[in-house]
Formats: sequence, C-alpha cells, structure tokens
Amino acid sequence: MDRHIQSPKSRKSPKSRDSLKSPRKRLRPRTLVIAGIAWLLAVVFLLPYAEMVITALRPASELRDPSYLPHHFAWSNFVNVWRDSTLGGNLKVTLLVAGGSTLLALLVALPAAYYTARIKFRGRKYFLLLVLVTQMFQPTSLLVGLYREFYQLDMLNSVWTLVLCNAAFNLAFAIWILTAYIGSIPVELEEAAMIDGLGRLGALRRVVLPLAMPGVVTAVIFTFISAWNEFVMGLTLSTVPQSQPLTVGINNFIGNYTVQWNYLFAGSVIAIVPVVVLFAFIERQVVSGLTAGSVK
Amino acid sequence: MDPVTCGSDGAKAVTAVNKRVLSFAAVCAVGTLTLAACGSSGGSGGSPKASGPVTLKLVAADYGDKASNSSTLYWNDLVKSFEAANPTIKVDVQVINWNDIDKQVKTMIQSGNMPDVLQTGGYADKVADNLLYPASDVLSPATQANVIDTFAKAGQVSGTQYGIPFVSSARAFFYNKAIFAQAGITTPPQTWDDVKADATLIKAKVPGVTPYALPLGPEEAQGESMMWELGNGGGVTDASGKYTLNSQANIDTFSWLKTNLVDPGLTYANPATTDRKTAFADFAAGKAAMLNGHPSLIQMSKDGKVDYGVAPIPGKNGALKSTLGVADWMMAFNKNGHKDQIKAFLDFAYSKENTEKFDETYNLMPVTKDTLADMTSSGKHADLAPFFALLPNASFYPLGDTSWDAVSAQIKQSIGTAVSGDPAKVLGDLQKKAQDAVANK
Amino acid sequence: MSQTSATPKAPGPGRGRPKPRRSGPGRFGPLPWIAPAILLIMVVVLWPVYEMVHTSFLRISTSGFVRGSAGLDKYRKLFGEPDLGHVLISTVIWTVAVVTLTMVLSLALAQLFNQEFPGRRLTRWALIAPWAASVLMTAIGFKWMLNQTAGVLNTAMTDLGLISGPQDWLGDPSTAWPWMMFVAIFVSLPFTTYTLLAGLQTIPGEVYEAARVDGASTWQTYLRITLPLLRPAFLVGVVINLINVFNSFPIIWGMTQGGPSSATATTTVFMYQLKDTDIGESAAMSVVNFALVVVMVLVFLKVSRWSEDEN
Repeated sequence: MDRHIQSPKSRKSPKSRDSLKSPRKRLRPRTLVIAGIAWLLAVVFLLPYAEMVITALRPASELRDPSYLPHHFAWSNFVNVWRDSTLGGNLKVTLLVAGGSTLLALLVALPAAYYTARIKFRGRKYFLLLVLVTQMFQPTSLLVGLYREFYQLDMLNSVWTLVLCNAAFNLAFAIWILTAYIGSIPVELEEAAMIDGLGRLGALRRVVLPLAMPGVVTAVIFTFISAWNEFVMGLTLSTVPQSQPLTVGINNFIGNYTVQWNYLFAGSVIAIVPVVVLFAFIERQVVSGLTAGSVK
Repeated sequence: MDPVTCGSDGAKAVTAVNKRVLSFAAVCAVGTLTLAACGSSGGSGGSPKASGPVTLKLVAADYGDKASNSSTLYWNDLVKSFEAANPTIKVDVQVINWNDIDKQVKTMIQSGNMPDVLQTGGYADKVADNLLYPASDVLSPATQANVIDTFAKAGQVSGTQYGIPFVSSARAFFYNKAIFAQAGITTPPQTWDDVKADATLIKAKVPGVTPYALPLGPEEAQGESMMWELGNGGGVTDASGKYTLNSQANIDTFSWLKTNLVDPGLTYANPATTDRKTAFADFAAGKAAMLNGHPSLIQMSKDGKVDYGVAPIPGKNGALKSTLGVADWMMAFNKNGHKDQIKAFLDFAYSKENTEKFDETYNLMPVTKDTLADMTSSGKHADLAPFFALLPNASFYPLGDTSWDAVSAQIKQSIGTAVSGDPAKVLGDLQKKAQDAVANK
Repeated sequence: MSQTSATPKAPGPGRGRPKPRRSGPGRFGPLPWIAPAILLIMVVVLWPVYEMVHTSFLRISTSGFVRGSAGLDKYRKLFGEPDLGHVLISTVIWTVAVVTLTMVLSLALAQLFNQEFPGRRLTRWALIAPWAASVLMTAIGFKWMLNQTAGVLNTAMTDLGLISGPQDWLGDPSTAWPWMMFVAIFVSLPFTTYTLLAGLQTIPGEVYEAARVDGASTWQTYLRITLPLLRPAFLVGVVINLINVFNSFPIIWGMTQGGPSSATATTTVFMYQLKDTDIGESAAMSVVNFALVVVMVLVFLKVSRWSEDEN
C-alpha cells in the first residue's frame, strides 16, 4: 500500500483541480479537436449496439438483406418477443440473481476486506493469494463439478444456487477493491470514533462504510454487471426455462434449423438497457472507486 | 450421498411387477435418506407424500422455435392426460433446447442423475454402459410391432433393440425454381457434373446468389458429408460395420468437391465454417439456389416466398436411389428401476393420436405404421409426399455403433477442412481418431 | 498499513473494557471476519476444482458414464493431440496481442477522456456500452455484422471501396483471428480505460505545475511523470486483462466456435471442444489451462516487481 505518494485528501483537494483547469481555458481549438475525437469514438462504441437495435426491428423477411436499414420497421418484434417467450420470467430470475449475489458478495467481502486492510494477521498473505487464485478460475472449466455439487445438494434450478455461484466468482474482485479502498482511509478517523465509545463494528458502520462508499459502489457495479451477464452457469445449473436467467432465455432463439436474429437481438436490447441506465447513474463513483484500487 | 448407490436399492425393490408392490416400495423408500438424495431433481415437486406415486423423470428435446410452440406444451398436455389415467405415476417433464441437450444429458449421467425417459438425437453410447432397458422391456408387443421396420432395425445394438425411434425425417435436394429459370435451367441436376454445370450457369447469370450451399460447419457436417459420400458409393462404414472414413471413394468425393465446387467459387468460400442454419436461411431468402434440405425447409421456403422444387439427391453418375434417413430417439434408463411405469408411459405416448399430433405440430415424419398410413392417405401432407416416398430406402448413420457419437463429434469438428486442405490427410486423421474411439470402448 | 500492529491472538484474560486497538477484530483472530469469504470460495470454487482435477484422472464414456480410473492416460492423450501445439501458440499470441493493444489504446483513451471538453459525460457514458452488455451478445452481434450475405460491416466496407465484395471474414482463420482480437479489445477497453482514468486522477496537479516550471514539454511530462505515476493502475489493468483474455471463452465461441477444426481455438475453447469427444481429456485440458494462467500471472507479477509495491 503505497501511501507516500498522496493521501485521498490531496487527491480531492480543490487546489489541484484548479491548477489543472486554468491552463486549458486558453486552448480552445485543441478542446474542439479533443471533443471531436471523443465524440467519434463514442459513436464507434455505440454502433454495434445500434445495429442490434436495427436488426431487432427487421421483419423476418428482411433478415438476409444487406441493406443498412429495413424497409419496414417491425416494432411488433419487441411485443412478440416479450409475449411469445419466457423472457418476462427470465428477467425476474436475472434481477433476483444479480441483486442477490451482489448483496451476498458485499456482505461477505466487506468484513474480510476491512480486516485484511487494517490488520496484518498471520496467514494474511495466504488469504490474499487464495483470493487472487479465485480470480483466475472461470466457471467454464468447472461446470461439471458445479453441476455435480448442486445436484448432490438438491439445489438445481434454484435462484439461490445462482446467487451463491455468482457471488463466489465475483468475490475476489470485491474483496480486492474494498481492501484497497479501506486501506486508503486514514485509520485515525476510526480510532477517534472508537475512543468516543463506538466498538469496531460501530466504527466500521458509522465511519468506514460512509467513507468507503465509492469503493462499495464499484464492487457493487462489478458484481452486478457480471452476474447480470453471466451465461454458462445459468445454462448448466438451471435446466427448466422458467428458472433460467435472461442470457440463457435469449439463447433459446438460436433454434435447431434457424436463428431468429431479430428476436435474439430484441431480447439482447431488453437485457442491455437496464444495465446501461444503472451504470450511467453512478459512473462518477465508479471512477473514484477504481481510483483507490489503482493506488495499490 | 453417492448417487450411484441409491439406484440399486430402488432397482431391486421395483423388479416386482405388481403396481401395488411398486407404490408400497416407494412409500417405504421415501423415509430413507437415499431416496431423498435420489429424488426428483426439480426441487419443486418435493418427495411424494404417503401413498405417493412413482415419479418418472422425462427429459426431451425442444422441437419448437418459440415459447408458443415449445415441446414443453406438448409434453405437459400429454403428461396431464397420462397422469389422469394413471394416478400412481407422476411425470416430471424437462424440455431442453437442442443446442444444449447433449451437454446437459452428459452432465446428468456423469453426476448419476439419470432421467427415466430420454428423447434426444442418439442412444447407442448409453447402451455401451448398460444404462438402457431393451425396447422389449419398456414397450408392449403391440407398440413395438407398430414401429416401422427400418427404424426399429436402426435402433438395434448387436441385434437387440434399445433405441426407440420417435420422429424421422429424410433429406432431399431442394432447388429454387425462379433462379433456375433465370439461369435457363429446366430440370434439376441428376449427376455431380450437372450440379457443377448448373452452378456455373447460375454464377454467371444470377449474381449475388450462392449457387450450391455446402454447409460443412460443425452443426451438421456429418449429414452433408455423408450425402455426398453416398453419391460416390462411399459412406461412413463398410458392410461389416467398420469405419471407412478415408476410403478411396470418400477421398475422391472430397477431392471432387474441392476442385469442382469450392475452388471455382460455386459455393461458400469456407464451407468448413458454414453451418446448416446459414444455408437454410439463405435458401429461404432466395440467396442460395441449391442445397440438400430437410422437411423443415418447406415451411421456411414458403414463409420466404421462395418457389422451391424437391428432387432426389444427385450422385456421381445419377440421382441417388436411397437417401439419408434421420431419426430422433426415445430411450429408457434402467437406473431407477421404473420399468413398468416407463412401459405404461411409452405405450401412452406412442398412441396414434399422440404421435400424429407431434408430427403434425412440427412437420416431422412418423416412425409408426399407423401414423404413417394416416398421414400418407389423409391428403393433408402433400408437401411431405416426396419424403414419405424416400423413407423406405433411407440409409442411416451407424447409429447402433456405440462409438458413433464420439466419431460423429470428430467428423462435425473437422471434416469440413477436407475441402480446403488435403482430403486424404484430413480423412486419414479422422479415421485414426475413429479407430481410437472404437478401441477405447 | 503499519499503523495497526498485528494482533492475531485473543487478548489476555482481563475482562474489563479492552483497549480499542485490541478489541473487535483482534479478539477472535481473523476468522469471524474472513471465514464467510473462505467458506464461499471453498464451497463454490474449490469443490468444483477438486472435481475437475479428479475427472481428469477418469475414464468417462461419451454418454458421460464414469467407467473407472484412467491414471495419466488422459494427459498422455492430450499431449499427443496434433492440434495442441498450434492451440498453445495461438493462445500465447492471442493473449499477448490483445492485452498489449488494449493497454496501449486504453492509455490513449484515458488521456483523452481525462480532458475537459463539452459532452465528456455523454461520451464516457458511451464508452461503457461494451462493458454493460454481455460479452457473448457483443460477440454474436459482431458475427452478425460480419455475415457474408447480410452483414452490415461487409456492406459498409464494400460501399467504402475497402473490399471488392462481401467476404466470409470469420470462415478463414487468417481473417477470423484479427476480427476476434478486435472484438476482444473492444470489450476490454472500457474497464481498462476506466482503471487508468482513475489512476490519472490520483496524480496531483502540483506535480504537473512543477514540471511546467521546469520547462518540460507535454510529451516529456507524460513520459517522465504521468506514466511512472500511472504504473500501479497500469499493472492492475494488465493483470486483470491477462486473466480475462487468457480465459476468454464467449468471444471465440460466439464467433467461430474455434473452427475450422480447432484453427481458431485457444486452450479454453479447445477444452470445450474436447468435451464432445472425451470428458476426461477435456478436464485434463482444464487443469493444464489453469496451471498456465497461474504461471503466467506469477511470472508477470515477478517481472513487474509487483511485490515491491506491496512493501
């Protein structure tokens, strides 16, 4: 933990912001060029998803046309895809899984991160190594083991299973980000609070947690996005359509003889929108949350 | 907790035939831990209450392409009426997408969580491990006799029938009449040289269209390659059932495809990565002129307003007399010992009303004599007439070979590279892998 | 980290009000704090890992039935696969190329988005789209756009005169690899850029002011000040990307399924392909795959002298 370079205080000091800003006001043409490039890039990043929306609006008869836009926009595709599939139920599963696993990961990661950040206990190194190793495993190679395990526990097709799995595979990142962030909070604040009569837990809740909010938000958004988009575990551990998450439900538009590209992408758009909106709301906090992680 | 041990007790208990004994055994077993661990995996159903019925676990493939025509609906309906007629048997239905069913079933078997009844694409690999009941154990004599003979035979491993055909289809040659007319072609091709000549004409006169769609991608390469091999008197095995993937006839077939269709650009640039879905979609959109198709392409072509024709598959020296027949299979697992309940269920499922309903829902062809007679004579299925005619002469994959599933997976994976690389080498490698698979039985 | 001394043992028997520093976490040792995390990791990650290693020593039929022990046969079979060599080479090229290009492009993007300009928030918002969307869907979307018959990218490139007609980009390994790398970079950029963006914000303005007073040029300032101070964030980006790109499955599976044959497969995709023919061999590939990623990350940490930062 390299705290000699700067503390969070200096990072956020208004003075440094001003000193960064002032010279830029003179560089107007340069700002325009930068804005132009940035806007162009933004368009490039959105194009693939725009094409998904366009395809989602193509009538089935125009799917093999190489035209940029369909002649008719089949808005009914969105209605059909919703009515004619289990996507409503799948969306509910995904919401529960993403929300539940985020909450669980946070509840488990927060105390571990707090302790690891504050205390050099024996085995701390091994604990951190275990966390790093967890990060290196990916569910794709563990599917058979996961299936066997949850079959033996009689927990297949259960939302709880997916909650547990998603929480576990995202735990490493959450612990890591939170450890780094809590580590950057001056310990003196906490000690003061404890002298004032709050116990460790009280200090954690009243002092550390509020200060660690950007780190918490970052861990939350990572876990949430990753659980929201998880595919292989959902596919393996839920075998009946009504208990499958959205990603798996969408996959069912890839049929035996045909791929219903328009429905497939309509479903994808439905799946993407909530996450983008959520992300847009808390974008700023993600940057400051990652800031601590990168100080490590 | 080891699931392998829980089946055996159940199996012993249930060998008795009497239904009362059965339900009694079930009641006794409920209390024990073993059964709780072996119980239905659904979790929702829970264990049966006192005097509770035996629960059969049915796993089936989904033939539908949307929720409103999913096979789940068919099976749920069927199970409802079956349960009404058989109050001591419950059926737990699990319908799985075709893309995933093989992997799912493998995982189930590996975990010891076997279904009682499975309906999917292949059966023989399960016979190798003694997982299945012979068909005669789980079908009444009447139902067994009702299965069309060629299919019943295709369900045999070493003379005993294990695979119970469920639905069938045959392949035929499809061509786009409008494109043919535009290119000035009047009759569908009979020989490979005809195919090449017609494709050349189409390429010259109808730009933007793939003259012949050759899908040798991993989705269905074993089917497309076998149809071409049959055209040259080759095939996957010889008469004695040994794999002959790199026979001279097969090597010649792929060399012909490479020099006459692929290299001149008369088909896709990379057949090895082109899946059948792409070929079908192109044909149904009027973007491909010829291909080897399947009854499902009829409806797709109609939806795409393509004026199509169906003809026998061209061979090297003349149209094929036989065609590639495909069947999907029903099988009964012996692990849970539910032989008699399975028999009751299958006899119910194979009744004429039920099979006909399924075949008509998905435009598939029957495997039972009564349904075939009905569908041929009813006049409602004129589209399928050319396919009905082909059925009796169909050739099959070596379905009864317990190593076929592994070999088929290898073929799907790499046979397509035979039309871009060296056919003799690619087929030689495949043959070697096939022999390894046989040796590893 | 040095302010709080380690107190792994419970405090003495004194029942009175413990000193703040010794209360709470110290009293029962680390377990109450980290046990839930360890438990979750053991149940959901380590148990299946054990199953995976165990499976790699088993003979399992294609139907999934366990036929007995295989000893080291599956490893022998795996190392005898003629395709394994080129799959390993492809994996190395894939990982190195994607991570390197991602890092370089992200440095530029972070610099760009760190400037003040009108609409910065909206453009940053656009940047997160590939992050928020499922990687599998993005890969399938690109596959669709590259479709030979109806792909919009083929249409656009033809209209722009870049190519003479629609091409089957993903069918030929020599064109499929660059496209898949493009997609892999595309989906890795948001996270990496955000990490570096966060790193840039930790650099205090005073440092730049000092550099300006010394008369350093913009480029010199970047090389001598920004880059070294960005090192921690950069290392984080590299490690996370190394792991993710090496393990990347959905991109390749969604676009080519590793085909033709296994010409566009990395070790992870190859492992999945082997599942269809031999489950034990596939598990052996998983074990080897994991060993590779561990070695790779440890070597990188060693080379980058990560531990020096720790102390």
